[in-house]
Amino acid sequence: MTDFNDTTDHEAKADLIEIAAYRYKEGLLTRRGFVAAMMALGALPALSGKAMAQAKEIVVVNWGGEASEVLQKVMADTYTAETGIPVIVDGSGPSGGKIRAMVESGAVVWDLCDSGMGTAIILEQQGVIQPINYDIVKRSDVLEQAAYKSAVGNYVYSYVLATNPKMLGGNVPQTWEDVWNVKDFPGMRTFRKSVRGMLESATMAQGVPMEEVYQVLDTEDGIDAAIDKFRQIRDHIIVWGSGSDSQNLFLQEEVSIGNIWSTRAHLLKDQMDEESFSASFDGGVLAPGMWVVPNNNPAGSDEVMKFIAHTQKPELQVQWLELIGSGPANPAAAPLVPEHLQKWNPTSPENMAKQIFYNDEWYGKNQVAAEEKYIDALIN
Amino acid sequence: MPRLPDRLRYWFLVLPALAIMIVFYIWPLLGIWQISFTEPEAGVANYTRMFDSSAVTTSFIITFRIAIQTTIGCLILGYIVAYVISNFARRAKPLMIALVLLPFWVSVLIRSFSWIVLLGRSGIVNDSLIGAGLIDSPLRLMHNEFGVVLAMIHVMLPFAVLPMMANMRGISGAYVDAARGLGASEFTAFRKVYFPQTMPGVMSGALLVFVLSLGFYITPALLGGGRVLMISEYITYQIQEFLNWGLGSALSVALLVATAIVILIAARFVNLRSALLERGS
Repeated sequence: MTDFNDTTDHEAKADLIEIAAYRYKEGLLTRRGFVAAMMALGALPALSGKAMAQAKEIVVVNWGGEASEVLQKVMADTYTAETGIPVIVDGSGPSGGKIRAMVESGAVVWDLCDSGMGTAIILEQQGVIQPINYDIVKRSDVLEQAAYKSAVGNYVYSYVLATNPKMLGGNVPQTWEDVWNVKDFPGMRTFRKSVRGMLESATMAQGVPMEEVYQVLDTEDGIDAAIDKFRQIRDHIIVWGSGSDSQNLFLQEEVSIGNIWSTRAHLLKDQMDEESFSASFDGGVLAPGMWVVPNNNPAGSDEVMKFIAHTQKPELQVQWLELIGSGPANPAAAPLVPEHLQKWNPTSPENMAKQIFYNDEWYGKNQVAAEEKYIDALIN
Repeated sequence: MPRLPDRLRYWFLVLPALAIMIVFYIWPLLGIWQISFTEPEAGVANYTRMFDSSAVTTSFIITFRIAIQTTIGCLILGYIVAYVISNFARRAKPLMIALVLLPFWVSVLIRSFSWIVLLGRSGIVNDSLIGAGLIDSPLRLMHNEFGVVLAMIHVMLPFAVLPMMANMRGISGAYVDAARGLGASEFTAFRKVYFPQTMPGVMSGALLVFVLSLGFYITPALLGGGRVLMISEYITYQIQEFLNWGLGSALSVALLVATAIVILIAARFVNLRSALLERGS
C-alpha cells in the first residue's frame, strides 16, 4: 500500500459528485439523470458480468456524480447513436490501485478510465496501461501538455484567484503578489489544505515569472521560500478541505480572497451577484484529467481508441464546459464556447496564456515533504 | 450441584465481554501499533521522524492546550450547574437534568455546525453586536482557538456535570448545617466543608473531559479553519491523504502514551480510586 505513492487528486474528482447533487437540487439536472449517476456508484458488480459477456460494449469509468451523467449523455449516448456500440458509464471511481489490481489479477472489466496525471505516470511505469494509439486518437486534438505515451487529456480544471469585490470595497487584487498584500486588500484568504496548486501561487507572489515556477520549486530553498510566504500571512488564512468548503466560505462571506477550483468558481458566479464574486485565471494552475486504458481491456484496444477520438470532438467538449465547468482538453473547442462562458473557460487561448500547467512529476517527488512544511507554517 | 468458587464465577461472567474486547478492540489496536514499527520499513524511523517534526510537536501542544482550556471551562460551568441542580432545584430537578442530557441526543457534528451559524462573520452574534452598535466590524469568533474551545466546552459539558452531580447527591446536608450552626459563614461552610467533599466528583469530571478532549476531531476540524490542528486530525491527514500508516500509527501510540502519563501524574496528586470508582458514597 505504501509503495504506491498516488498523488492523484481524488478529492477534485469526488467533488464533481457533490456538484451533481447541488445541480440536481437547483433543478439543473433531471431526476432520472441524477439517480442513474448515483446508481452507477454501486453498480459495478452487476455491470462487470455483462461487460465480460458482451465484448462489443465499452465500459467507461469515472468518478460519479454529474460527471457520470454528463459523460453518459454527451459522450456515450452520442457514440452509440453514431456507431451502434453501447457505451456504459460507471461512476465507481477508477483509483490507480483498483486499475492495477484488476490488470494484475487478469479480471479486467473496464475499457477506459478517467485518471489523473500522477496516477497515469505511475500506471505507465508499472506497465498496466496501454499506449495511446495516436493513429486513431489525434494528437493535435489535445493540448500538448496532456498527450502522454499511455494517457491522453480528457478535460481540464484549474486553480484560480477568486475574490469578493464588495468586501474589498471594489479594490480587487490582480496578482498573487496582491493577495499577499494584507494592508491594501484586507480580509481573510482561503487556500487549500494541501500544497497542490498553492505553492505555485506563493512562488509567483515572490515575483517569479510563471514559466520559472517549477524550476524555482525544484530546489529546497524554493520550497522553503514558498512555505515562508504562507507563514507570513497565516493569521489571515482559513483553509478549505473540500470544494464545497471553498464555496461555502465565499457564500457566507467568511473570506474575501481565495485560491479555489475553477469548477467551484463556475458555480459561485451563478450563486452570487456580479459585484460580490469574480475570478481571474491570471497565474492559475491548470490540472488535466487523463484517459487511461487498462491492459487487455475486454472491448479491445482499437474500439476504445475510437471512443477516445469521439470524446475529443470540440462541440462535445464545449457541452462539458457548459454543464460542469471543466475546460475542454481540445484546443479547437475554444472558439465554439458561447460568448458568456468564454471568460470562464480555463483552456481558452487568453486564459491558457495566463496560466501554467500542473507539474505532476514535481508532486511525485516533493509533495509529501512539502505538505509537512505547509502544515508547520500554518500552525507553528 | 456443586457451587463454583466465587473467583471462578467472576471470571465466568467476565470472560465473554473480555473475549469480545480482545478480538474487536485490543487485537486491531495492537495491529495498528505494530504498523508504527514496520511501515514503510522496520525500525523506529516513524518515531524519530515524529520527534524531529515541529509540525507534530506543535500539534501535540495545541491538543493539550485545548484539552486543558476545555477542561477548566467545563469544570467552572459544570460545577455551578451541578451545584444548583443538587442543592436548589426541587420540582424543576428532573427538567434540569433532562436539559443537561438533551445535547447527548444531538450529534457533535450538528452542534458544531450550529456554532458556525452563531459565530460566523455574518452570524447571529456578530449581527446583533453590530445591530446594537457595540462593534463596527465583525469580530473573529471562529476559525481560531477561541471558537474551537467554546464549541468543545459546549459538547463536553454534560461529561463534567454528570459525575459532579452524582457526587453531590451523596453529600449529606447535615455537615454544612453543622458548620453553619457552629458559626461558619455561608461561604466558609461551602469552602471548608462542602467543596472538599465534592473533589472526587470534580476530579472524575476533569479526567473524563480532559481525556475525551484529547481525541477530538470534528469540532476543531470545522471551527479551527486549519490553524487549530489537533493530533487526531493530523493522524487522519497522514493516513487518508498520504497513505502514511506508519507515521499515523506512531502518532496514535504517542497520544496514548502522553495521555497515560497525564493520568499517572494526576494519580500522584489525587486519589484516582475515589475519583473514578466511588462517586459520592
